Amino acid sequence: MIEKFTQSKLDRCISCGYCLPACPTYQLTGAEESSPRGRITLMRAVQEGRLPIVDLLPEAGFCLGCRACEPVCPAGVEYGTLLEEMRDMAWQGKNRPLIIRGLFIAVQSKIGMWALGFLSPTAKNRKANPELNLMLGCFERRLFPSVSRTVAKLDTNISVCKEQSCCGALHAHNGELEKGRQMAQKLGEELTGTIITTAGGCAAHLSDVIGRDRVREFSQWWSQNEGKLEKIKKSGRTLRIGLQDSCHLRNGLGVFKEPREILKQLGDYVEVPDAGGCCGAAGSYSLLQRKNSRKVISKKIQDIKELNLDYLVTLNPGCTRQLVSQLRRARVKTKVIHLAELIDLSL
Amino acid sequence: MKLDSASLVSQLESLLGKDLVRSDATALESYSHDATPIFQGLPEVIVAPKTTADVVKIVNFARQTSTPIIARGAGSNLCAATVPLSGGIVMSMANMKKILEVSKSEMLAVVQPGVTNLDLDQLVEKDGMRFIPDPGSRSVSTIGGNVATSAGGLRGLKYGTTKNYILGLEAVLGTGELIRTGGRLVKDVAGYDVTRLLVGSEGTLAVFTEITVALAPRPSTSKYGVAYFDDLSCAAIAVEKIISHGIMPSTLEFLDNTCITAVEEFAHLGLDTGAGALLLFGDDGEGESVSLTVNKMAEIVKESAGGRGVSLAQDVAAAEALLYARRCSLPALARLGSLSILEDIAVPRPKMAHVVTAIEGIGAKHNLRIGTFGHAGDGNLHPTIVVDKDNAAEVKRAELALSEIFHLAIAAGGTITGEHGVGSAKLPYLQELLGETNMQLQRSIKHVFDPDNILNPNRLGS
Ligand SMILES: Cc1cc2nc3c(=O)[nH]c(=O)nc-3n(C[C@H](O)[C@H](O)[C@H](O)COP(=O)(O)OP(=O)(O)OC[C@H]3O[C@@H](n4cnc5c(N)ncnc54)[C@H](O)[C@@H]3O)c2cc1C
Ligand code: SF4
Ligand code: SF4
Repeated sequence: MIEKFTQSKLDRCISCGYCLPACPTYQLTGAEESSPRGRITLMRAVQEGRLPIVDLLPEAGFCLGCRACEPVCPAGVEYGTLLEEMRDMAWQGKNRPLIIRGLFIAVQSKIGMWALGFLSPTAKNRKANPELNLMLGCFERRLFPSVSRTVAKLDTNISVCKEQSCCGALHAHNGELEKGRQMAQKLGEELTGTIITTAGGCAAHLSDVIGRDRVREFSQWWSQNEGKLEKIKKSGRTLRIGLQDSCHLRNGLGVFKEPREILKQLGDYVEVPDAGGCCGAAGSYSLLQRKNSRKVISKKIQDIKELNLDYLVTLNPGCTRQLVSQLRRARVKTKVIHLAELIDLSL
Repeated sequence: MKLDSASLVSQLESLLGKDLVRSDATALESYSHDATPIFQGLPEVIVAPKTTADVVKIVNFARQTSTPIIARGAGSNLCAATVPLSGGIVMSMANMKKILEVSKSEMLAVVQPGVTNLDLDQLVEKDGMRFIPDPGSRSVSTIGGNVATSAGGLRGLKYGTTKNYILGLEAVLGTGELIRTGGRLVKDVAGYDVTRLLVGSEGTLAVFTEITVALAPRPSTSKYGVAYFDDLSCAAIAVEKIISHGIMPSTLEFLDNTCITAVEEFAHLGLDTGAGALLLFGDDGEGESVSLTVNKMAEIVKESAGGRGVSLAQDVAAAEALLYARRCSLPALARLGSLSILEDIAVPRPKMAHVVTAIEGIGAKHNLRIGTFGHAGDGNLHPTIVVDKDNAAEVKRAELALSEIFHLAIAAGGTITGEHGVGSAKLPYLQELLGETNMQLQRSIKHVFDPDNILNPNRLGS
């Protein structure tokens, strides 16, 4: 557990409010305390001893951690890091949500990871280029095993080793900052060379710890290494394809042009309004804050419905899960698919 | 009768319903600041009215209980106008953000005060219109806040500022009475111009609940260019030249080297970080005339002393990027230190070259880093002192420098605030600028509108 916020990171914020329009929770409530600027004010109050850390529990939970407040901040405030610090301090002992405790247990032990991958038809072990390794993710291998299978199929140069641990993003984002960093280090040692990941959230965390040069999110890697693609036809017409950005991929790593470029090759690309805005999955948020998570996504679901898309492409398993379930709930026919799988359809 | 905080909260809850009242420690703390550094003060309760009737109720309640009320838009003001230094109620206008009407035939819109400036402008864009006032904070700040500070922006020279675009107001006075001033008319001289008096009143005379703004046609063409200079005074001289050629363009903004470097670090636009100053010039309008004006400006600045090259933005996106870069100068400067103190002096344009040089001198004398940017066409300068907040000696030197900058402005026939307002930050300097008779008049005006001194007390009119 850390004791204090990094003072220099708190000092960066000049309370200009440029981040307010970008923040989904502020847009929902209009309340200063649920804005990035307001939350930083609260962190300062804790730092200066004016508020006890437990007072920050409601906002530590309400904030999506989407980091939409970062790229719009001219002062360069690293809000994502500050939030991790806030949760590290606030979510200790009994204040850590039960669900988070359960998830931690699942991903930090060998047995847990084995159970997640067990019987799951992910990519199979394969020794190919030792300097190019596929990361399987912890929940992705359980929930969407076809994604890793597809990536392995798309490029046979990629090595796959099923015995790999979790990158620790879950820990880092949910109050175990140090542990989360250690886990990323460990994964960085297990997998050599460049690590390819199909999860934007993992890509951002892993890059943060082991360096950007060692990590490639799938769309990034594809656009740097693979050739042109053909348009996908469905009964003679090209597909209408939209995208939901992965928050950490976009706001943390600045990757958002790459997937769009690829999708333009595959069909009629339609920009979903606020495609860069959080879908409300936000890691464990959709489990911890069900109601708010639904409020955050509700407009997006309407927009997607009106656009009449064939496919909505995602870059992160959490977003896939959220969009599948919320589109189904609203009876929208659009299919949700990971970018790798859509590429596969075109070949 | 004055109430303790707990009774204040419970009575407001029964008056308005629990949903509109917040008093937990985090809510109070988060409203203890605005965008002004250093100033801080805790409110006792936050209310967020939904209707004009709610506002009337709150003001009447505050009057009966002698409780201060601070109306708050987005809290982006830079003069500590919304910091609750006297405790009391912060009234957030965030729940009143409807655009009630847009009339193309009358070129006006009727809005609630909590609408953000950019939201209004984007909505009316569909009908080929625009809302002229465009403060750097336009994506954040509210129309209510803009009216209460008479906000300026990047188009002041040619088009004026907020005060030129407010047709009518619905407002609740400190007495709890609801008034309507002005309206939809282009002309109306029946009575004193109370609308104009309320514009810029910083929440001390009345709370706006509905605002009728004048819109303008959206020009079909706009063009921008950038020129670099050896220093800010050369850029100021170039601005003088442009205007003395009879050109009145929409935009003439400048940044010094410190600002250019900070902005470039954030926005990556390929600005020349080796130059001493950057001048952003541009105009908008119809057809060929825009190009003619902008090309003429380019010619003039090219010839001007200390010039280091001119280029024109190739497309709208490039121009927008430049404007954005200019707008975010202040927060970008925050990268340089842990405390940025920004000023807002305005001086007659012919004095500007002298004043910017003198500011550099003040910075050198006190060994301070001062980044200056501003609305050059308006003679409105924002010297920003960036210091380490834990270095007491440096903070002290900054205070000295600020006072010197104010006196420099006043001596040049200028003012201590061109557009950000007085708030608490400039109040100590107001008397010196206005003199006793004018100050007394201000107090008398305040007393008529707010006899119990509940609206944003201890600020303007106090
Ligand atoms: C990065 C940045 C750039 C800026 N650029 C500019 C600029 O170019 N030009 C400029 O002029 N300013 C600029 N500002 C200052 C600021 O944004 C403006 O003063 C703006 O008008 C404040 O609007 P707000 O909604 O944030 O109001 P607030 O800060 O909430 O309030 C400002 C004042 O308005 C009063 N008020 C708010 N709502 C009401 C209401 N409904 N009824 C009565 N009184 C009310 C408050 O009591 C207070 O006195 C900038 C600020 C920042 C942070
Ligand atoms: S986080 Fe950045 S954008 Fe938001 S208030 Fe602070 S400085 Fe401004
Ligand atoms: S991370 Fe997302 S929800 Fe949290 S403050 Fe930033 S923009 Fe708002």
